Amino acid sequence: MAIMCVYSETLEISKQLLGLAHELKENNNTIQAITIEEEQAEELIAFGADKVIVLKGENEWPESYAGGIAEAVKNEGADLFLIGDTIRGRDIAAQVAARLQTAMVSRAISVQRVEGAFETERMMYGGSVSKRERLKKLSLITIPVGKYEPVSKDKTRNGEVVSIEVTTDSRVSILEKNPLVKEGRDLTSAARIVCVGLGLDKREDLKLAEDLAAVLGADIACTRGIAEEKKWLPIESYIGLSGIQIKPDLYLSLGVSGQVQHVVGIRDSKIIAAIDNNENAPIFQVADYGIVGDLYEIVPLLIETLKK
Amino acid sequence: MSKIIVCYKWVLIEEDIKVNSDLSIDTSKAKGKISDYDRNAIEAAVQIAGSMGDEVIAMTFGDANAEQSLKDALSRGPDSGYLIKDKAAVNADGYVTSNVLAAAIKKINDYKLIICAEGASDTYAHQVGSRLGAILYIPVITNVTSLKVEGEKITAQRTLEDCMETVTATLPVVVTVMPEACEAPIPGLKQVLAAKKKPVTKVSVAELGLDTSITQPKSEDLGIKGYAMSRKNIIFRDGDNKVKVNQLVGTLKKEGVI
Repeated sequence: MAIMCVYSETLEISKQLLGLAHELKENNNTIQAITIEEEQAEELIAFGADKVIVLKGENEWPESYAGGIAEAVKNEGADLFLIGDTIRGRDIAAQVAARLQTAMVSRAISVQRVEGAFETERMMYGGSVSKRERLKKLSLITIPVGKYEPVSKDKTRNGEVVSIEVTTDSRVSILEKNPLVKEGRDLTSAARIVCVGLGLDKREDLKLAEDLAAVLGADIACTRGIAEEKKWLPIESYIGLSGIQIKPDLYLSLGVSGQVQHVVGIRDSKIIAAIDNNENAPIFQVADYGIVGDLYEIVPLLIETLKK
Repeated sequence: MSKIIVCYKWVLIEEDIKVNSDLSIDTSKAKGKISDYDRNAIEAAVQIAGSMGDEVIAMTFGDANAEQSLKDALSRGPDSGYLIKDKAAVNADGYVTSNVLAAAIKKINDYKLIICAEGASDTYAHQVGSRLGAILYIPVITNVTSLKVEGEKITAQRTLEDCMETVTATLPVVVTVMPEACEAPIPGLKQVLAAKKKPVTKVSVAELGLDTSITQPKSEDLGIKGYAMSRKNIIFRDGDNKVKVNQLVGTLKKEGVI
């Protein structure tokens, strides 16, 4: 018998974690969900939690519940603790791991059950190397957002709800909180993406990429350099290890060299196509199709051909 | 005056790591560097200290190879270096590293701020800063994009997935900084020369009074291998641009993606 526990501050992500827990579930395993928002309990049960632990505290800062969460998973005797890999989730996970002096695998790309034990795989060195680990009882794993599907909702599912009063950490307080206004669409669910890299000479040339995207019905994304150094596109539109990970049917790059940190973010694309003038650019090694050539000549031709 | 401790990691340069055809990894030709974002963290520590006349200690946990990092780290402005030198650093996980660093930090004792980067460029695990806070039992503020210290108070801005947040806490605090918090300039010759004269403390894990069991990672390492992505690699290199474009459009249509 094993107890698997999940936590995210976001309900949608908790549902994905419950989906993974169901994939890993063997006979008589129990799946528990921890939440700090009581009104989530019903949904969490409908999406597969056998038990929901509601932590009640004073502080509105989710991170201040790390101590309470650590106590809860320990008291429940959990074998595995899955946490959604958000900025808050990562911090909470690592604090829980330190309080329990246990292992933590960050951003696992796979979790499997092998002879009763949990085994994980994760990326290192910017994505060129993968590392496998076998975990001992009560290990923590953070799971990339969007990696797993929730199970289908079942309102008739039964589950227990337990509320626990916890002492939240009062040493940090929020002074101000403003929602981020996303400038673009959610690229993680886009079907086609045109990605621009530093092969683009100047900001005005984005127009070329936009025209191509328009005929393809694609969204525009970019590399870290374009967003961070050049600031030509919003920060949330850069693809890569520290940016977004996409899974479109078509990823088409213009002037992207293909650094390993970028490639991590495009791995789940169905088809990768690249246009770049350097035939030795690493992007061609990870592409299905590519054209070696000057993007300023190729792209107008491509637009023209696609319009036909 | 109290101390600001900035933690950094000496890592292999990822571009130097070779993946063999059998997917085994060859690191024999790989040189080292201060982890990319740690340079920003060091600069952040130096700037904050500069405004208040605090002392900055650059701390790292590494094996003998990490010794060469001290000169680079100190040329970036910290007043002194602190190396916990141990072979165990090579296979250390977040558990090991944070416990070792925490023991050294406790030894220094008089600190007001611990600064780490959001993650290291080799493992990118994002654990050490948060773990340090939990072990030292001081507040942690992660992914900080700008920060200000006034008296005993720190005010930090963070950009999360869906919001921007400003939080405040009383020192001592652990912060993990994003690269945009502070650009890291390349040290000049004068700074490089000055770095040679700065004091460095070198200790072993045992000298920190830690049991050797603390150097055992908590999970079982099943090994590393190259990550292979199987792709078609059909590249249209030569000939007329029009022909190449037609070939690409043809194949993408056949794939059903346009």
